Amino acid sequence: MSNLALGTSRKREIKRSWLLGGVFVIWIGLAKLFNGKFTLEIAVPQNTPFTSFVGEVAKSIRGNRTDGAAFKYFFNPIRQIIDGFVTFIREIISIPTQGATIPLIGWLGVLALIGFTVFAVSKLKTAIMAMALTFACGALGLWKDSMDTLAMTIAAVLLSLAIGIPVGIWAGRSDFALKLVTPILDLAQILPTLVYLAPLALFFLIGPASATIATMVYSIPIAIRLTAFGIRGVAKSPVEASVSMGSTGAQTLTKVQLPMAKKTIVLGINQTVMAALSFVVIAALIGAPGLGKPVIEALIIRDVGEGFVAGFAVVFLAIMLDRSTTAAVVKQNTFVPPSPAELKRRKIGLIIAGISTIASIILSRQFAWAAYFPKNINFAEQIGHGADTTVVWITETFSFFTDGLIKFVTVGILNPLESVLSGAPWFLTILAISAISAIIGGFRSALITVFLLGAIVASGLWFDTMITFAQTIVATLLTMLVGVALGIWVGRSAKADRVLRPILDAGQVLPAFVYLIPMLGFFGPARFTAIATGIVYSIPVVVKIVGQGIRDVPVTMIEAATSAGSTTRQLITKVQLPAAKNSLLLATNQGLIFVLAVVVIGGFVGAGGLGYLVILGSSKPELQGKGLVAGFSILLLGVMIDRIAQYAVRRNSAPRQ
Amino acid sequence: MTNSSSAISVRNLWQVFGPNPEKIVDSPDAALPRAELREKTGNTAAVRDVSFDVAPGEVFVVMGLSGSGKSTLVRCLTRLIEPTSGHIVMDGEDILEASQSRLRELRRTRFSMVFQNFGLLPHRKVIDNISYALEINGVSKEKRHARAREVIDLVGLEGFEQAYPEQLSGGMQQRVGLARALAVDPEVMFLDEPFSALDPLIRRDMQTEVIRLHRELGKTMIFITHDLDEALKLGDRIAIMRDGAVVQMGTAEQLIGNPADEYVADFTRDIPKSHVLSVRSIARPLKDSELPSQATLPANTIIRDATEIVLNSSGPVQVIENGNSIGVISANDILRLIGGIQG
Ligand SMILES: Nc1ncnc2c1ncn2[C@@H]1O[C@H](COP(=O)(O)OP(=O)(O)OP(=O)(O)O)[C@@H](O)[C@H]1O
Ligand SMILES: [Mg+2]
Repeated sequence: MSNLALGTSRKREIKRSWLLGGVFVIWIGLAKLFNGKFTLEIAVPQNTPFTSFVGEVAKSIRGNRTDGAAFKYFFNPIRQIIDGFVTFIREIISIPTQGATIPLIGWLGVLALIGFTVFAVSKLKTAIMAMALTFACGALGLWKDSMDTLAMTIAAVLLSLAIGIPVGIWAGRSDFALKLVTPILDLAQILPTLVYLAPLALFFLIGPASATIATMVYSIPIAIRLTAFGIRGVAKSPVEASVSMGSTGAQTLTKVQLPMAKKTIVLGINQTVMAALSFVVIAALIGAPGLGKPVIEALIIRDVGEGFVAGFAVVFLAIMLDRSTTAAVVKQNTFVPPSPAELKRRKIGLIIAGISTIASIILSRQFAWAAYFPKNINFAEQIGHGADTTVVWITETFSFFTDGLIKFVTVGILNPLESVLSGAPWFLTILAISAISAIIGGFRSALITVFLLGAIVASGLWFDTMITFAQTIVATLLTMLVGVALGIWVGRSAKADRVLRPILDAGQVLPAFVYLIPMLGFFGPARFTAIATGIVYSIPVVVKIVGQGIRDVPVTMIEAATSAGSTTRQLITKVQLPAAKNSLLLATNQGLIFVLAVVVIGGFVGAGGLGYLVILGSSKPELQGKGLVAGFSILLLGVMIDRIAQYAVRRNSAPRQ
Repeated sequence: MTNSSSAISVRNLWQVFGPNPEKIVDSPDAALPRAELREKTGNTAAVRDVSFDVAPGEVFVVMGLSGSGKSTLVRCLTRLIEPTSGHIVMDGEDILEASQSRLRELRRTRFSMVFQNFGLLPHRKVIDNISYALEINGVSKEKRHARAREVIDLVGLEGFEQAYPEQLSGGMQQRVGLARALAVDPEVMFLDEPFSALDPLIRRDMQTEVIRLHRELGKTMIFITHDLDEALKLGDRIAIMRDGAVVQMGTAEQLIGNPADEYVADFTRDIPKSHVLSVRSIARPLKDSELPSQATLPANTIIRDATEIVLNSSGPVQVIENGNSIGVISANDILRLIGGIQG
């Protein structure tokens, strides 16, 4: 029976790949024939009727900011409240309070406070590391910017948790609520960061408040998702037991579900913090103070050394926040509290740490040396210079390799793909993509594809969208090539997993932005830089998903194949990969979404396409409409990619049930 | 209609999963086999028209294969799942009519449950697990801990008050589960396969423990199991479920001596009849050729326990019920029964 099913699905697959091949051949042939016609290309400074219209709308929204009812009673009050909160937190650690020249707490006090907080939620070693990393940010000459980024992150995280955790609890307890929020959460997951910025700035102005709101929009879904997941993941029987003993809903929540879901919720906090940090960096585009500014400046003036210095500060903060919150997660691994002796030791430790923290804070308010980060501890120049020379050395030494690689990818893959996607008539491309979508995802998938691509044509930015799409596809292909190979390795060997996991974890923590800096150094301002950044950024997630998929293949299946005399190679290609097919599809989907998010940021380093238009739109008023529409087109592209992948996964797993 | 002297009285209880469950109740569709019904309407009739009475102090065992609806039945009795229709009466009160707050009150005071997976709260010490029900009922810490200590002694958990569930073995964890269920001094206890997750040796210990507790405290128990040995050991009466319906209900002797159908017979096939049946069931008239011995046996003696007397007597032994002889049994009869030989 199962053999029979396998046989027919095999046959269907073979038929499918023939069909796909046919579509490609016809597509490429026709694209060659009609190359350059009906491409809908427009020059960068040029508007279409639709983008001008959106520009007008944006202008009128801006004009309404002081008097419009929506602004007076909705947007402005929200902005003011959030602004107040952000300013409050910034005044504690990063900006001077009114009538003073320093924040409420000087650098020494901040350092002590960070140490104390981390010690309280995890352990001494982590606390010392957190203080060292924060100090290192200061030693890069970026104390104030680092504190601004930290303050912005903290403010956004607190607000996000204040909303995300209650909503997550609700969605964890009510199926109705889950149904309500799931589509929003799904959408948020595929929305590239760059897309949020301009629309939010339109309604909340440029500045810390709208940067915080944008960050919240990005990180609240993560808090909701993990909280709901944690509540739903609580073992059924304790909940049932609690109800059977006559608990009210609130009692079951506070005495059973929340304590038992604590670990996942803390993990959610970790993820929320990391998301917020990476967003706060990019939100510099709409006026977020902090490290994002020097990063963007360095990218724009192509100053790799300076970029490295700011990038290092971001990395230090990221590691500091990640390690601290992860240590807090690890602490939740057991429900058994430490022994009384240990508790007592901890209590004493906390008291000592608390007293020294208070002392440091007082010192930092009294003495200049403890208030202003010492100027003579500044290694920015050396590090910038060192980074510069290293990058130059690497580039020159390996130029035979990098030049060849760039040429191979750009000329060998990207250009032909671009000429097929964007160089061919738009209707041909739509037809071809829809046909492919139909073959791998089915009729409904094709329908959605046609609709979304149609909307992109209507937006007027078809050509640029296809440029971005081509880069996304190339980057994803290369990501999958490397990611699947590493994933197989990680999935098959526990040792490989042990070696690679910390690197993958670290890779996932860093904001996409900071990857651009070294890539810019290595490859210069070019489309390849965006592609390379996309690859580096998305490989970790692909490796993790593929590795998990390979690991999840039932042992009995592998034993059966091995005892039938399969070679390792046969085992991988005939058993493990086919059985992990859904993970491969899922990894492709995630890879595409991650790559897309980065490729559009590549607009900063000369990758062109939609990302460039978004960035341009935020600085040139006459192109604001075009920038907004470009952001929307990115969204449509992301949704299309996601939908096709989802349908493919569903179709692939349907016969199994 | 319901029996007022019962501890709990269940009438025409239905639990149908799926769309429009009320439509299935009492309809001809309900009699369809599981798969067919799901195919046709998308419903699963997990409990079908179940009625029974449990006497105060009785241990009532519900048995059946996996998927026969035992867990669903017991969850309906405590309304962890809302039954589709029927009546569950305790002390003249229909539990299915109770408001949410009344239901909570009943759960806090009148009945309690023990779960297959224990359902302990991993973040609480043993003593706080056990006093949980009292805690949510607003009992002061001092009082509830005092009560918890009483039941801790009762189930043999002395010295583990301050331990956390993950520090205990499975058997010990289920002792906590038992203690927790006893802490509120309930009238009725529901136990859903409480020992299925335990090793055979520990399971036997725990069964003995339940027998002892039942003897000491006399609680009414509704005990779910799929292990016939366990059912025979603990149950005053046993109900056998199949596809959601009760196919037979009675004492062990009734089920084994007189199985209602193949399904029940299958269940009981491996049980040595001589360990369950009484001499009454094989007593027969004296044959003309035989000379009865002087020895007599009460009619309700288990056959196994009668063996020695029968072997040591010179001829067939008289079986006495209410002072009258209802027949005789001989060693041959016992051997025939053990060997499964008819006639
Ligand atoms: N929430 C539900 N929704 C739909 N069907 C359910 C639900 N809960 C149980 N069922 C179905 O009801 C039937 C009875 O399940 P139940 O868990 O009561 O069986 P059981 O006798 O306790 O089995 P086991 O010995 O495996 O515990 C099964 O066919 C099950 O699939
Ligand atoms: Mg069950």
